[in-house]
Amino acid sequence: MAIRQGGFERKSKASQEIPSSSLADIAFLLLIFFMVTTVFRTTSERPIAWPAAEAAQKIDEKAKDILYIWLEQGGSIWINDRQYSMAEVSTIVAPLYANSDRRLVISLRADRDVPYLYIDQLQKELQEAGAVRLVFASELERRMTRERR
Amino acid sequence: MAVLNQKKSKVSDEIPSSSMADIAFLLLIFFLVTTVFPKDKGLPIVLPEQSEEVAVSQKNILHLLIQPTGIVIVRRGESQQEQQMRPADIEGLWRQEFAQNENLIAAVKTHPEAPYKFMVDVLDALQTAGAERISLQILEG
Repeated sequence: MAIRQGGFERKSKASQEIPSSSLADIAFLLLIFFMVTTVFRTTSERPIAWPAAEAAQKIDEKAKDILYIWLEQGGSIWINDRQYSMAEVSTIVAPLYANSDRRLVISLRADRDVPYLYIDQLQKELQEAGAVRLVFASELERRMTRERR
Repeated sequence: MAVLNQKKSKVSDEIPSSSMADIAFLLLIFFLVTTVFPKDKGLPIVLPEQSEEVAVSQKNILHLLIQPTGIVIVRRGESQQEQQMRPADIEGLWRQEFAQNENLIAAVKTHPEAPYKFMVDVLDALQTAGAERISLQILEG
């Protein structure tokens, strides 16, 4: 009150409201900013030739409970972008399995021409680690292509 | 000029831009809802726990011996009679055998040198035929 009477009271000519016409622009700007800056944690794919199976099912598990083990044709094993030897697999998988509340599913992405010996050794390593839920990752094969073969 | 019925249009020439944002959001929400991320596919199997060994009567076992060439040798239980098959024929074989014996177990024994894809083919055929009791082993000797 005292200030008002001070004599310097001016009527502001600017509108009191925040302009809402550019609200959508701001929203888009934010959206695009976060789209551009977001980096998803991905592991790069190894070059393998996928086996095909007709009975292939979707893995019904959360992405964080799936561990991908890549097995290349030469027998090299890659887990989370790092190469391991066959004997190391159980020591790598065991803590991951324990941390996942025993929910971990192993998705084995092996080259179609890899000798079965490696698959068998890997299975034994996984058994040693206690991770018994295994999926042989493969492409879905249509009955048509199967009959052509 | 030459046109007689020239009327001045009262409708504005411009496309209304005030609802552009609404259209953009509509599209955005539409694509958000309809996008499906590809899920991994594969043949699931549960490995036996370590040290878990179950004695199974020989007559309940169907031996499938996968050779490096992709040929599958089929042996029923104790009999020494062998039969050669292609992986694609296993599906029919399993249905036929399972109809006779419900306790049948498929013992898939793969040669160490055999490519992985042949094992996948056999496993695929068994799972397509509805087999649930599958044992994966390596062919010894």
